[in-house]
Parts: sequence; structure tokens; C-alpha cells
Amino acid sequence: MTAAIRVEHLAHRYGRRFIYQDLSFAVPAGKVVALLGKNGVGKTTLIRLLMGFLRPSAGQCRVLGEPSHALSPATRARIGLLFEGHLAYDFMSIAQIERFYRPFYPRWRRELYYDLVDRLGLSYDHKVGNMSCGQRSQVVLGLIFAQNPDLMILDDYSMGLDAGYRRLFLDYLRHFFLDEGGKTLFVTSHVIQDMEALVDEVIFLQQGGAVKQLPLADFRRDFHCFSFHLDGHAMPRADAVIESVDPHGREPCLYTFAEPARLAAHLETHWPQVRLGDERRLTLEDAFVGLTGKY
Amino acid sequence: MLSAILVKEWLKIRWAWLGLLALHLGMLGYLYLVVRHQFRVEHSEMIWYWAFELRRLLYEPIQYLPLISGVLIAATQFGPEMIGGRFRLSLHLPLRGDLLVWSWVAFGALMGAVLALLDAFALYWIIGRWFPREAAVSAVLTALPWLLGGWVGYFGATLALLEPAVARRLVYLGLSAAFLALLFQHRGYQEYDQVLPVLIAVALLFIPAVILPAHRCRHRG
Repeated sequence: MTAAIRVEHLAHRYGRRFIYQDLSFAVPAGKVVALLGKNGVGKTTLIRLLMGFLRPSAGQCRVLGEPSHALSPATRARIGLLFEGHLAYDFMSIAQIERFYRPFYPRWRRELYYDLVDRLGLSYDHKVGNMSCGQRSQVVLGLIFAQNPDLMILDDYSMGLDAGYRRLFLDYLRHFFLDEGGKTLFVTSHVIQDMEALVDEVIFLQQGGAVKQLPLADFRRDFHCFSFHLDGHAMPRADAVIESVDPHGREPCLYTFAEPARLAAHLETHWPQVRLGDERRLTLEDAFVGLTGKY
Repeated sequence: MLSAILVKEWLKIRWAWLGLLALHLGMLGYLYLVVRHQFRVEHSEMIWYWAFELRRLLYEPIQYLPLISGVLIAATQFGPEMIGGRFRLSLHLPLRGDLLVWSWVAFGALMGAVLALLDAFALYWIIGRWFPREAAVSAVLTALPWLLGGWVGYFGATLALLEPAVARRLVYLGLSAAFLALLFQHRGYQEYDQVLPVLIAVALLFIPAVILPAHRCRHRG
């Protein structure tokens, strides 16, 4: 399998606090992969490491076959990067910013940029700095599409966007990937439900760098939530079979990748006070919260 | 690519630069009026005596203009790059980081140099209106450390703005301030003639130095 991104035994710290100590994963070429995790687990730090803005404390990151801290200009031309907050040159206008980026990218497709920004209904003299968050996101996305990259890395594309702009963003992403083919997308977002129709695989990043990577379809099929009742007071805890327990919901429930029969056998042995209830249907957001926890 | 970079830099600084141009023209016009006034109210022998015996500089009003211009050009060029971490936008461009930064500072230094040349030519012309050619040349030579102050002000502010580490930023500011203090110690005309080549050589070290903060921005640990 050719990996567009490969991370091996990555460790990084801020001062004495380790963000990850032995993080390894790969983003297969041609796939749409979402990096999900709670606030503060290090998603944006990971993006910065992949783009060479931070040097890891240990381990290595390779992007399109090159070390992330030494990406050649030719490789950077193949990577479309959306910075958190839709960073852009605010002092430029719609037309100026397109003219600025065009000479840097040999595969520049001007029509993809204007196809998106024309929907804004703004004059081409309109400054990016005078736009709303959603409008700016369209300009930035248009620039990334026009670059025609092989790899797109979108760091929290949904920040500051209302539902309409998010939907537009996703529609354009889907069309871009279906029409163009052969592209890889690595995306982070806090809007979990958007991932359902977009991604092939998910990488759950947890505090300390624990990572779980699997196809989204497998996650949706294999991750279960069961309500339960307690005979007694000893609340079950996460272990080899139980991923997490939520005692504070409408009714207490536990989350697991195990099939009901295996779970029941495990509970009988280790948590006999737990009486398993019905399985609950989960949205992707429910499953994400179940896996990563509420707090 | 280079023309795109230069256009971008111009977009950032154009209003500040045009404002500085107006300021320089205004100050040079003021200088012209001051010198003309001196010759109208005093005998020319007295003014010559002030200038070349008492070593009083008639053109001191413009001495800090290059420094102010250098700092302001750097602020308008690199301030927008550092707000919100926009510097990363440029560092992600498919271009070597050192070439990118050098093209930036080349543009900024060039825009400062245009103002400096304006000052030099105008000073030569103004003094040459009332003094012999040798005095006009002397005025320009006397003003050279002030023009160098513009270079130091520009590069010192650039280093401080690009540098991600606070401690190093303070070091750059301190070194630049110390260098600038050296350039404004004059007590009369042409006092820097002998030492100016050394000062210029030291000032040229700013050129490779500007790569360091950009490199540290790119590879923060």
C-alpha cells in the first residue's frame, strides 16, 4: 500500500508535557481519512509536524515520500493545505490572491477557483479581510482546488462555518474527489456527522497519543453501545473489552467493539453486577463521544 | 513567481511607502525653506562660519527620517505576515525559504533605498543651491550614517518581527539599538568618513541573518 502520509513512532512534547510518545499510522494514497479527537489531543500539532512547521522530538513523519521537516518545493506544490481558521492574506482581493498563487503551481486550474468564488456574488476587488468566515473559507478552498494537489490536508475546515457553508464545502470536496480521482484527503474536524458521507477511514487520536485507525464502515458496524443496570454500586470501568462507560446519560451505557455474546461473557466474569440492557443505535457523533469520552 | 512575490509585498507596504514619500518630500521641502531662510536673514559668511567652523549641521531635521522609514517599511511588510501565524502561508509555498525571505527583504530594502536616494540627491541639490559643490558633497557624506541607520532600522525590525523566540527577539532589538546609537554620535560634518566602510560591512551581516528566524519558524521544536 502506498502511503501519502506515514507516521512512525512519533513523539512530541511542549516543555515536559508529551503530546504523543509512540504514535504510528499511515494515510493510504487515494483515500479520504479523517483525524478525529477531542480538544487538546494534538490534532493541529500533528498537522504542523506533517507540514514541517514543528520538528518532532522523536520518530519520523513522511509526506508523499519525503521527510516532513524537509519537504522539497516540488512536493509542497502537490500538497493543498488548509490552515485552521482559513488563514489567508487579508490584504488581497479575490482577483489579487488568485494572481498571486497561480505562478507557484504548474497545474493551476483557474476555473476551479472562480467556479467557487463566483458563488459569493462579490466583485473581484473585494478584499479577503472584509469577508465573513464562510466567504473566506470559499476563497481558501477555491485556491486549494485550483492548485490541483495530490494531497489535501484540511485542518479543522469547519471552524466558524455555519451549516450552509459546511454543506457547500463538503459538496465541493466530494465532487472534486469524484471528478479528479487519485487524490488523498486528510481532514480534521469537530463536526463529526460531516464525516459520515465523506471519509473512507477514521483515525481516532486520544490523549497521550493512543490511536485507533479503521475504515469508517467497520467502525459503524463493529462499535456498539449497550445500556445496563447495576446490581450494586460498583460501576464497571474500561478494560480490554469495554472501551468506555458513560454513567451519566439518560441511562448508563457502555461502549465496546465486542459482539454481544462476548461482551456478556466478559461481564459475567469481570463485572457480574452489570446486567446488560438493549443495544442502542448510534449516530457517528454518539459513537465518537462513546469512544473518546465526554470529559 | 518572483513578480508575484514583489506584487504582494507592494500591496502590503504601498500606502505606508507613499505616506513616507510624502513625509520625505515634505521634510526636504522644509529643509529647503529653512536653509533659504537662513541665507535671507544672515550673511552668507556667518552661515559658512556656523557650518564649517562651528560645525553646525543645517540639515539635521532629516537625520532620523531614514530610520523611521526603515522601521515603518519593516512593520508594514512583516506585521501582516506574523499576525495569526500567516507566515506559515508563505512558508508552505513551493519555494525555498531562504529565497523567499531574501526576496522580501530585497524588496523592502530597495523601497527604503529609493527614499534614501531621494534624500541624498535632494540634500546635494539643496546645499548646492547656496554652497559650493564641495559642501554639497560633504553634506551627503555626513548624511550617509543616517541613511545606513535606515538599513539597520529596517533589518533590525525585520529580524525582531520574524523571530519566533521572545528572548532572541530582544537580543536582535538590543543589537540593532546599539548599532543605531553608534550611527548618530556625530558632532559635525563628515565625522564618520573613516569608520563608515567598517560600519557598512557590519551592516551587511544582516542579509544572511534574516534567514535564521525564518528557519526557526519553519522548524520549531
